[in-house]
Amino acid sequence: MRFEVFKEAVTAKAQALGLTDYELYYSRSESVSVDVFRQEVRSFSSSLEGGVCFRCLLGGRMGYASTEDLSAESAEEIVLRAAENAKVLESDDPEFLGEGGASYAEVCPPAAPQLSAAEMTALALDLQKALYAADPRVIDGTSARVIRASDDTAIFNSRGLDVSQHTEAAVALAAPVVTDGKEMSNSYKLSRLKDGLDFSEAVEKSVKEATAKLGAGVAPTGTWPVVFSSSAMASLLGVFSGIFSGENAARGMSLLKGREGEIIASPAVTLTDDPFYKDSIMPSAFDAEGTPTSRKDLIDAGKLTTLLHNLKTAASAGCATTGNAAKSSYNSPVAVRPFTLVLQPGRLTADELLAKAGNGVYIDFLGGLHAGANPISGDFSLQSGGFLIENGKKTQAVRSFTVSGNFYQLLKQIDDLSDTAELSGFGSAHDFACPDVLVSVLSIAGK
Amino acid sequence: MISRSVCERVLSAAASTGADYAELFAERSLEHNISMVSDKVDKIQDTTIAGAGIRVFLGLRSVAASTVDTSEEGLIRCALQAASALAQGKAAADIRLRERLYGDAHPVRIVPSSVSNEEKIAVLRKAYRAARSYDKTIKQVTGNLLTVDHNILVANTEGTYAQDRQIRTRLGIQSIAEINGETQTGSCHRGARMGMELYEGPVNPIAIGHYASRQAITMAGAGYCPAGVMPVVIDNGFGGVIFHEACGHSLEASSVAYGTSQFCGKLGQVIANEKVTAIDDGTIPNAWGSVNFDDEGTPSRRNVLIDKGVLKSYMIDKMGGRRMNMAPTGNARRQNYGYVTTSRMTNTFIAEGSDSNDDILASVDYGFYAKDMGGGSVNPATGEFNFAVREGYMIRGGKIAEPVRGASLVGKGSEIIMKIDMVGKYLEMGQGMCGSSSGSIPTNVGQPMIRVSSITVGGR
Repeated sequence: MRFEVFKEAVTAKAQALGLTDYELYYSRSESVSVDVFRQEVRSFSSSLEGGVCFRCLLGGRMGYASTEDLSAESAEEIVLRAAENAKVLESDDPEFLGEGGASYAEVCPPAAPQLSAAEMTALALDLQKALYAADPRVIDGTSARVIRASDDTAIFNSRGLDVSQHTEAAVALAAPVVTDGKEMSNSYKLSRLKDGLDFSEAVEKSVKEATAKLGAGVAPTGTWPVVFSSSAMASLLGVFSGIFSGENAARGMSLLKGREGEIIASPAVTLTDDPFYKDSIMPSAFDAEGTPTSRKDLIDAGKLTTLLHNLKTAASAGCATTGNAAKSSYNSPVAVRPFTLVLQPGRLTADELLAKAGNGVYIDFLGGLHAGANPISGDFSLQSGGFLIENGKKTQAVRSFTVSGNFYQLLKQIDDLSDTAELSGFGSAHDFACPDVLVSVLSIAGK
Repeated sequence: MISRSVCERVLSAAASTGADYAELFAERSLEHNISMVSDKVDKIQDTTIAGAGIRVFLGLRSVAASTVDTSEEGLIRCALQAASALAQGKAAADIRLRERLYGDAHPVRIVPSSVSNEEKIAVLRKAYRAARSYDKTIKQVTGNLLTVDHNILVANTEGTYAQDRQIRTRLGIQSIAEINGETQTGSCHRGARMGMELYEGPVNPIAIGHYASRQAITMAGAGYCPAGVMPVVIDNGFGGVIFHEACGHSLEASSVAYGTSQFCGKLGQVIANEKVTAIDDGTIPNAWGSVNFDDEGTPSRRNVLIDKGVLKSYMIDKMGGRRMNMAPTGNARRQNYGYVTTSRMTNTFIAEGSDSNDDILASVDYGFYAKDMGGGSVNPATGEFNFAVREGYMIRGGKIAEPVRGASLVGKGSEIIMKIDMVGKYLEMGQGMCGSSSGSIPTNVGQPMIRVSSITVGGR
């Protein structure tokens, strides 16, 4: 059954049950990917995923139910299940359905190049060849992948909201494995494909990064100035971005609760949430409640200006929604999330930033973020990789050490930032763009 | 779910361009997750997952396609799409499926979908209240009760037509304690391949709440862990995540078959300390990571991975097996039809040894004791792993001393498993969700108490 027909079946059932406030959220993702190993196509996969989430207000509570089966029976079933679920909820916070806005920003995500399966295969094989050609130390295990994906989202509710959006992208993934005969090292880089289908930057950067790590030593234990690369900083910001959530604040799960207007970071720090960031793969004109989105600073030169809100968290905080309602998957309840969080760049070049650090550690890899960082307390202790900084220059590669600290303190210890922010390229509507960042002192555990 | 004759027609279409193997995986699953926060039932996530995945192989090439349309037309369309991507000639495949009944080693007494929301909430509330009322320093508690009813069908051109119903439930509590302005969390999760009877004996919801709050308070009162290289004692249960990360992932065909594992070509060689025997066993009755047969239709089994330090087996799916010239081991798994199956762990653990817990602790003059672990991750190519310690203490003079927070353990798998030089007598499992290319799947980790003679402890 098509979504339009399913929508009518759901509406009929909701009305038959006497429901007056309800909403249907629809999401559909299609993707095709080609994966090359040695000089052959290892796998080709295509997927069509997605589903619908129905929610309704009953006695002031919002019940949810979702399905991937767009049949007439399913349409009736999710309405009944959502109503059933609403009955046992206990939260007294007022719930809302969005009414949308008078106007929405014009977002024109660049169309992805239209690639046939054969073209994708040829491109992936070329990419693989380029990886082997880039350095004699590149070995089997290296893989190249080309992915084409599109997403459709629609929200329709009893308050008259009816919005939809389509985004698409094509990316190439370069994942070289290299060896010096004694040990292996690897890396990967995503490159968004535009009309020229150029992936040379991903090849060059990924091979350079993988080979630079061969023969890595261990960092010395101690406290040092640390420079996080833009991608490492994006990982860190990604783990801790929940501290800016009005939902977490309301639950006592963010230490930023009620601290708007206070200085929470060094004056070098300005942090912006930008739904229309220039390189974002999925710029968004509306959030998961259909509210028009907007660009705003969360931290302005060190001062916390706002937390992020959806309709519900804004009402309980006594402010307006910031248009940051989000669902992590079509079947998730509406929560709060940034779009692209941009840590605004500073004035120094990347080399000048290293010079300013003097002697310390450059970190361009952080691992185990789901485990080694506590998003509530801000504490982190993370597996790291990178280079020593000696006399203002990157020298010996180092790996298998940890960097520890507290994110709230780190915000105040940011001494300076490089002049170029790079998008981390997680490839979703929720992304992070950071420059290289110099933190005055952090604890390193190595040898 | 889908009849044998429809499966035969779908597989014929899938194999029509010359595939030497075709497979249909279909599922219809119910996932129900109740959450509590601030003393109230806050959210219910209630989802029907329904769809199918089709794979075709030809030699070492594979094509996968998935769809949410499980009508016969939808499945045939998906099968032809896969076939056309393979496009290596024509074949008139005559496919005869035989139904296989593998039986169910995991009895379920109370099927979750037959239990009302109210009854499920009563179980969750018991654990929640126990956590909340544990101490006045507990400032917030979140809890959730997950029930999964996963119905799968696997049909393939080897003649397999088999269905399984995998019912799982898991209860989790996270407590937040605040002492002198310092906030720390504690958590506890218990789950099994069982129905709601899990909470009527095998698992006590109140104990889960108490455990989470006790841990939060212990950590909120703790100083930071010192950084450095030292001997480490890791307790049983979820401590087994060290083997899972340091070694388990590198024994999966998904890295071994492609040369991206530190343990490639090492069968029969000593790769671990002689004290280490490690097993992956998908047959343990009602265990969180168990399956009757895997997502390619291979019956699950008990695989000894390492026997007294010697590498004996990898964990292998069908495509990995083709590359490695080895038989599949019942380890092919996928989160759902939308993911492409690969080799994964089931219930993976270090077997019991002969050292007493007292002797293990007494052997460490100065070191670190990890009582409870968080999750971790690994790069199988280099073997570098990390994992977080949820509850840790210093060891001084052979005795557990003050609690310390913020610790993580990092190292290289191949080095660490040589350094596991004491293994205790009491095996216990912990329930985790393991993420990899084929999605997030339930896996058990486990071990008795072990000693690692030296490892890098991250702290400050």
